[in-house]
Amino acid sequence: MRGIALVGLRPLEVRVEATCSPGLPVLKLVGLPDAAVREAGERVRTAIQRHGLRWPGERVVVNLAPADLPKVGSSFDLPLAIAVLAATGQVPMAAASRTWACGELGLDGSVRAVTGQLPLVAGARQLGARELLVPAAAAAEAALVTGLHLVPVTDLTDVVAALEGRRPAAALQPLLPPLRPCTDPPAPDLADVRGQPLARRAVELAAAGGHHLLLTGPPGCGKTMLAERLHGLLPDLTTDEAIEVAAIHSLAGERRPDDPLRVRPPLRAPHQVVSAAALVGGGAGVPRPGEVSLAHRGVLVLDELLEIPRAVLDALRQPLERGEVVLSRARARVSYPGAVLLVGAANPCPCGHLGDPRRACSCRPDRIERYRARLSGPLLDRLDLQVALQPLARTALLDGTPGETSSVVGARVAAARTAAAQRWGAVRLNRDVDAVLLRRTTARPALARLAAALSGLGASARAFDRMLRVARTIADLEGREVVDVGHVEEAVAYRLPPVPVPA
Amino acid sequence: MSGTALWRLACEVEELVAPGTQPAVLAALLAWAVRPRRTLEGLRRALAARGGPDGSPAEALLAQVQEHVDDQDAAAASRLLPRWRARGCRVSVVGDPGYPARLAEDWPSTDGPVLLATSGARPPTAPTVAVVGARSASSYGTGIAAWLAEAASAAGVHVVSGGAVGIDAAAHRAALEGPGGTSVVLGCGHDVGYPRGHARAGGLFERILAGGGGLLSEQLPAVPPKAGIVRARNRIVAGLADLVVVVEGGPRSGALLTAGAAAERGRPVLAVPGDIRLAGSAAPNRLLAEGAGACTEPADLLAALASDRVAVAATVPQTPARTTGAMTVLPREVHRELAAAWPRAVTGDGLIDRSGLPAGTVLAALTRAQVAGEVVGRADGFVLRRAPEPGGR
Repeated sequence: MRGIALVGLRPLEVRVEATCSPGLPVLKLVGLPDAAVREAGERVRTAIQRHGLRWPGERVVVNLAPADLPKVGSSFDLPLAIAVLAATGQVPMAAASRTWACGELGLDGSVRAVTGQLPLVAGARQLGARELLVPAAAAAEAALVTGLHLVPVTDLTDVVAALEGRRPAAALQPLLPPLRPCTDPPAPDLADVRGQPLARRAVELAAAGGHHLLLTGPPGCGKTMLAERLHGLLPDLTTDEAIEVAAIHSLAGERRPDDPLRVRPPLRAPHQVVSAAALVGGGAGVPRPGEVSLAHRGVLVLDELLEIPRAVLDALRQPLERGEVVLSRARARVSYPGAVLLVGAANPCPCGHLGDPRRACSCRPDRIERYRARLSGPLLDRLDLQVALQPLARTALLDGTPGETSSVVGARVAAARTAAAQRWGAVRLNRDVDAVLLRRTTARPALARLAAALSGLGASARAFDRMLRVARTIADLEGREVVDVGHVEEAVAYRLPPVPVPA
Repeated sequence: MSGTALWRLACEVEELVAPGTQPAVLAALLAWAVRPRRTLEGLRRALAARGGPDGSPAEALLAQVQEHVDDQDAAAASRLLPRWRARGCRVSVVGDPGYPARLAEDWPSTDGPVLLATSGARPPTAPTVAVVGARSASSYGTGIAAWLAEAASAAGVHVVSGGAVGIDAAAHRAALEGPGGTSVVLGCGHDVGYPRGHARAGGLFERILAGGGGLLSEQLPAVPPKAGIVRARNRIVAGLADLVVVVEGGPRSGALLTAGAAAERGRPVLAVPGDIRLAGSAAPNRLLAEGAGACTEPADLLAALASDRVAVAATVPQTPARTTGAMTVLPREVHRELAAAWPRAVTGDGLIDRSGLPAGTVLAALTRAQVAGEVVGRADGFVLRRAPEPGGR
């Protein structure tokens, strides 16, 4: 009998073996079960008895192998029950030993869906399972994973039937849910943004190349508004990507089994009192995915970036550079995907009015410097597009001509993304391209100009490569194959210190 | 007192003295000043009470102290010298040729410091303006301070200030590249490194020294920036200047002390009118109410200097220095907008909107212009580094 254990999103095969021997009628579970797995014994025994099946009057030993891997959660109920039924000859042993199963049992013998059903099913396929018993309640979701035969079961009767080679009742129902495009309200349109040509341009570049964006500006100048519209510019996820995202959400308990598959990229905006564990993942035992992973392939908005404690922010450095989060704990080392587009919003100074033509800033320069230092240099380096927003005049809000709509800009973004994907293959986004490859598509004078501009900025080598990536995206938006001096110069403009200490 | 210890100190001091200062006098004064409770300012007061020195200030000071210093004092003073030496300081005594003449006027009834340690260049004899204000400055204040100081320096006027963050720093920064140059009066000893951001490698102080300016202090090299000491240096700022301009400051700002010291010496004071609702406008607005002149543009500053010293007028050009518009690396439309707004800044959004060019083109051009040094990016937008040619398009 086989079940699946997940370490993070990595599936591991768990063999469940049961044996009966003379002795007191107790159930002994071995193989590092956690509390939920240990309690499975009581659930399984009651379910089997209530269902008119026989619980052996002997000592039952169940082993979960490999014995040194900690087993977590209630998905082992079903394999455990089948192992006991096979050991007592109530189902054929041969069928049981080649079957995979996952699901939780109720006391009445019903089979229920578990948290993280989708990654479990995807994991079973990855491990080479041909046939998998899944709770009928989760069958629709499980059916998103193709390439293995799913047998939906509602209770132990179905399970016995399936193992005896009969068709369980639940399998008669139609399975595939329509791949509904997400039911989110339509994303707000970029045409609502009046003026702000600089920010609009940066948002377009961020959407096209996946570059991280930092918006600074006085309160109420439209930082949040722009972040939402950036999300609206991103193309839909492919089915595989959508399943990957859904698997993470399923694991985090953020997704119910009957939720439709969302094809829009996720948009996550945790509040600024977020902890490091909530942001990048963590928790007791096997760490759970955090906001970065929940925003995988989508947008992570951090408002009031400078109000977030520096230690929490610095936890973002690795995921921003590598697109994944590796959480090493004493018990387990897991990695979750975390390829996000980070949009940070911050006030330019503690009072928020630095650079505001209408209100004087009342902050002392050293306080501004200290405020900005909350963002560590390495993290600031990774924010490729830094834009200082100006508050809009009221007249511009009412009468300003609306800019291009999201669909116009989105078409350009899609074209640029296609160009990048064709060039880079698997990597797909300019943000993630290897620097060496990048330089091959850049004109020599452009490299020289970038180096010259950077020596004045005192920027790092990492900043050099990241600016080159932005320049690549600018060229892609123009449909150019070679990155030229003009593209590089524009890329540098998003880095020039928006505020040197007032001079 | 022991003659040999003091004599040895005088030998050590010899390489630190400014031209025209006698090592023996400086050695005796240092030995006096290293002991707590004995202040050089006390010496000045005693001399002032007696109705002034007979002979030169140096001789009078020497006469006052030489009976009171001993071997221990000389040894303690000798331990301080390496710290001055490390900073390349020269020390002069009041009344000596190396000591700024303006600061020594009417000494000891005016409160010029007895000693002045200078690293870098000594303040020139050129007309001098003090541009002063609070550390907690608004962007308005720092912008105005920079505007005034840059224009003054461009006209050959030397700019002094206190080297603090905020207004002082903005004035120094703006003046340091012009022909007038700039000097800092420190609120602590030379070897303390305060304010830290200015004293670190590559900081403002290093740039001022590299640009031919100077750092001045009346304190022994290790004296920390205590409030009283910082406030006392304001009288030196005033003493060095022909004119004091107060840009911004709260109701108890040190800038008021600078203005008061200038008034005592009979030197004119100008104030920059500020928003009456902001705390930072209290000092200049109060000075205006008390009769100070209003400074609303660099011409006011230059005019006040010219009327004070007739000799100044000849050295002050009527229009600020300029670069030729033909040399611009900017697109014509962008340069036109920046020139029209000068000396105010234009935001990136404003330039894109009004030039009618694509955002990418404007941004690329601005990078080029910043690398070329034609444009400066600031919190409130972009501004031409130099005044545009009048009427130039």
